[in-house]
Amino acid sequence: MQTDEDIKSLHPLEVTVLRRYNTGDVLSASVLQGDLGLNVGQSNQALSWLAARESLQEHNRRIITRYELTELGRDYAEHGTPEERVQDAAREHGPLPLPRIAELTGLPNKDVGSAFGKLSKQGVLGMDGEKQVSYVAADGASAAQADIDMVRTLLRRAAAAPQGLLEENELGDDERRLIGEISKKRGSSGAAFRVVESEIVEYTLTEHGTALRAAVEAAGLSGKEVGALTPAMLRDGSWKGTNFRSYSIQVPPSRLLIGRRNPYCSYLDQVKDKLVSLGFEEFDGPLVETEFWNSDALFMPQFHSARDIHDVYYVADPPHAQEIQEPFLSRVAATHENGWDTGSSGWDYTFDRDFTRRLILRSQGTVMSAKTLHQAKVPGKYFGILRCFRYDQVDATHLSDFYQTEGIVLGEDVNLRTLMGMLEMFAVELAGATDVKCVPGYFPFTEPSVEIHIKHPELGWFELGGAGIFRPEVTEPMGVSVPVLAWGLGIDRMALMHLGLNDLRELFSPNIENVRLRTGKQAG
Amino acid sequence: MPKIELQQDELFRYSGRNFGADELEEALTIAKAEIDDPVDKDGLIKIELNDTNRPDLWSTAGLGRALRLYHATGNAAPTSAAAPAAAVNYDFFSRPESPVEAGNRRIVVDSELAERRPYIAAFAISGPPIAEVLLDDLIQTQEKLCWNYGRKRKAIAMGVYREDKIQYPVRYRAVDPDCTTFVPLGLDNELSLRQIIEQHPKGREFGGIVAALDKFPFLTDNSGAVLSFPPVINSADVGAVQAGDTNLFIEMTGTDLKPLLLACSIVACDLADAGYTVHPVQVEYPYDTPFGRTIVSPLYFQKPVSVELAYAERLLGVALNEDEAVQRLGKMGVRAEAASGLITAYPPEYRNDFLHPVDVVEDLMIGYGMNAFPSEPPRDFTVGRLTEAEIFSREVKTLLVGMGYQEMIFNYLGSRRDFIDNMYSHEQRTAAADACVRIANPMSENFEFVRPSIIPQLLGAESVSAHAVYPHYIFEVGKVAVRDADDNYGSRTVTALGAVVADADAGFNLVSSQAAALFFYLGLEYEPSVVDDPRFLAGRVASLLVKGERVGILGELHPQVLENWGVTVPCAVIELDLDHLQKAIGSD
Repeated sequence: MQTDEDIKSLHPLEVTVLRRYNTGDVLSASVLQGDLGLNVGQSNQALSWLAARESLQEHNRRIITRYELTELGRDYAEHGTPEERVQDAAREHGPLPLPRIAELTGLPNKDVGSAFGKLSKQGVLGMDGEKQVSYVAADGASAAQADIDMVRTLLRRAAAAPQGLLEENELGDDERRLIGEISKKRGSSGAAFRVVESEIVEYTLTEHGTALRAAVEAAGLSGKEVGALTPAMLRDGSWKGTNFRSYSIQVPPSRLLIGRRNPYCSYLDQVKDKLVSLGFEEFDGPLVETEFWNSDALFMPQFHSARDIHDVYYVADPPHAQEIQEPFLSRVAATHENGWDTGSSGWDYTFDRDFTRRLILRSQGTVMSAKTLHQAKVPGKYFGILRCFRYDQVDATHLSDFYQTEGIVLGEDVNLRTLMGMLEMFAVELAGATDVKCVPGYFPFTEPSVEIHIKHPELGWFELGGAGIFRPEVTEPMGVSVPVLAWGLGIDRMALMHLGLNDLRELFSPNIENVRLRTGKQAG
Repeated sequence: MPKIELQQDELFRYSGRNFGADELEEALTIAKAEIDDPVDKDGLIKIELNDTNRPDLWSTAGLGRALRLYHATGNAAPTSAAAPAAAVNYDFFSRPESPVEAGNRRIVVDSELAERRPYIAAFAISGPPIAEVLLDDLIQTQEKLCWNYGRKRKAIAMGVYREDKIQYPVRYRAVDPDCTTFVPLGLDNELSLRQIIEQHPKGREFGGIVAALDKFPFLTDNSGAVLSFPPVINSADVGAVQAGDTNLFIEMTGTDLKPLLLACSIVACDLADAGYTVHPVQVEYPYDTPFGRTIVSPLYFQKPVSVELAYAERLLGVALNEDEAVQRLGKMGVRAEAASGLITAYPPEYRNDFLHPVDVVEDLMIGYGMNAFPSEPPRDFTVGRLTEAEIFSREVKTLLVGMGYQEMIFNYLGSRRDFIDNMYSHEQRTAAADACVRIANPMSENFEFVRPSIIPQLLGAESVSAHAVYPHYIFEVGKVAVRDADDNYGSRTVTALGAVVADADAGFNLVSSQAAALFFYLGLEYEPSVVDDPRFLAGRVASLLVKGERVGILGELHPQVLENWGVTVPCAVIELDLDHLQKAIGSD
């Protein structure tokens, strides 16, 4: 018996029913309505809930017929049926023509006509050659009169009954015959009663029901416990002394659709906030860039293999920027050709000043580091999480556009050791690394360069990013003479882990349900 | 970044010692190299080389040399410029001012090459019969050098020949591509040079380098026997080298002299390390070159680079000792001398990556090893801050989330179909496309345009999310790009908000109320104004004005647009230019 479970989830209606009835009692919706003053809906709910928990079992099922008084019927009950009214008019004022009777009774002509037809057949009324109607009943009138009286009684009884209902099985034979004449099965127009057939299901308590009833009594439940605390109860103080129903707290709650940040965006925000907390200022710039800022300013020679048509997206129109800012263009061009004043030998080729204006989609976040240099503070720390574009076949590990996290640090005293110190700080603060290792690296724009490999608590060893000290060929054309640390971090791998994903394409998923269900761990 | 495949035993032989798997991984860091595929059952190991300025490391001999020098102790490490770089003495190098005697090994260059493919460098080797493994390695070196460093043979192409079949002097000429014929490697019938670039696989791959020339480069010996058609294909006779050959002639042609000479030096040093005697070749030009009209190769043309010790100390963050610095550079194969705080480094014959003193500093870093530089946190105090745009975006996102929206994030590239065809009718598409930033060389038509608006991608999300319980409230704050003829770049990047409600009840009134709430909390007054935008149902779209300037749009999307996207639920949208809004707030 799981009465303990049941008792917690009983609705007050169920409690009320259980307390009222005992083993052997026959319950039905109408019984509940009569005994407990419930309405039809409440009665049926209580029965079906109790049946569902097997506290009730079906005892009997039958069809009953009832007669429900219509609006017309209520009119008849008050003013008399047409037959009654026509007969009275003829008896008191006759002989009269039919239209005159209609006037006197206030009935429509057709009702007067059909009442006269019926009454003349019964020999109560007659019509002469002048079409005058007279009351002609003598002896035969008594039977017709009895019918009229009986109909009147039925109408008045019905008008007084709850919902205007008369039970067929409570009517005598004559009453059934007469009520049949003034009833219709469907619809109500033109008839005093509507015939209503309904199925009555009767129940009795099961063993479980009996036990539950005992449990309800033992628990002192009355069924009068209140569900909702209402403003009215608070206003009038009626909450005092009110028992509030216990809810079944194990029932799974319904789903709520809420407004929510995207977990990947939140992750990027967390990284940004962390970098800001470490003293970095954010930079940002356009998606469309020039070859100049994307590569030339970074001292990547124009013939560099990574600058091939197959590595960078070119803008169709316009193909070129109108101009490149001076003095940077001339200095960078000279640096490529012969080293300019940087102490470098340069790349020893003729710098192409048209090609440098070529518009492309930013292919590396380092663009913004280069563009920031000439306006950077010393000391200064800068970063950006920037959307970049690569000429790559899109798959689980490559996207056509993706974020790069990049930055620079300018200072009189920054050097290789502070570079590694900073990288270790990133490793611990951003990745929760437990171990860090720097090895020599290669990037076209930094010298010396290092790669940072970290031991992540969940991912194990992997390359977190690359960094170095900007080459003087990069900084000096921008008017910067202090060392500049440049760094880039690959955070997508950690983002995937954070989001429980293993395909980069999923970061930008258009699938609303997936995004709704996606949760990210708290960044640590 | 090149990857090479090599016999691990061979690498260890050149390295002068064996390494365990972890040891090798660690040891390779000095060459900025990583194991790409561990050694397999045939003894092959795949290694990725990260430094594109160190082509000398892209061969078994070169990588082995770097490991050998780094791990050498005692007399194997050079201590001054006078001492040789390693156990192998590359005494076959000429210097611009003091050429080595090349004997009858000469190449005569035709004047017509000056404007076509002007430079050639060469040497010959003799020694034991060439083993299969060495030949494979030589071919790989050729491929990596010519592909990565030689820009797919455009700047450098290399040919290897049986020297026994060559009568010196070799002739480097420019010839008529239609009248000149020979049997190319891989075929047994004669083809004209024109036919080769049209029909031969190598011709189709590399013919583009010369196709536009009126005369093609051509290499023969003195008797007219064909060596090759550079940079495309060798001849089937003189140019067919096989294991067991003992005397080889190796040449390289190209457009830039220094990279060409460096590549020539790299291959010569590799073969010297392999135990071969290198014989210089004299090239005679009828025109001027940076090193005169007669150049004997291999040529040591590199210049010494001086770095102040104090400069190195500033960058590395530690105090350095002159003598130790010289010795540490020696581990990197760099001969050096130090005096009065100045270190002068002489690049090895096979390296030309010292453009600036800072490049010597990096060799010092690697020579000392990373452990010599204990890390320390940066000391400078700086104030961190987000951009104004980011702060404003976050405020907007918070309000959208408060209104029940789910934030989305999309890729910025998309197709013409997504951004234009699905949004506009035929007559409007040209103008719509002209307002977009289009990629001239798209990899796929799926990624041809930078998005001009966020709305298409929000609809893209709707089109794949009919299974998700409605209502859908989705938004993104992100970048869009729009053409702007007044801008230096011809386009502007704008931070935009796009929001879509997809629901049976989604309509103008809903998004209008939301926009009103948004503007209220942003502290901005706005005015809706009538606009004709065919993406929306007429009469149910409003342009939003702040101080008389258009900052966005909202309304009910046109059912035709929804049909184009296969969306069967009404959608109402808001799109705002956040940069503009932020400016409007700032100007109050």
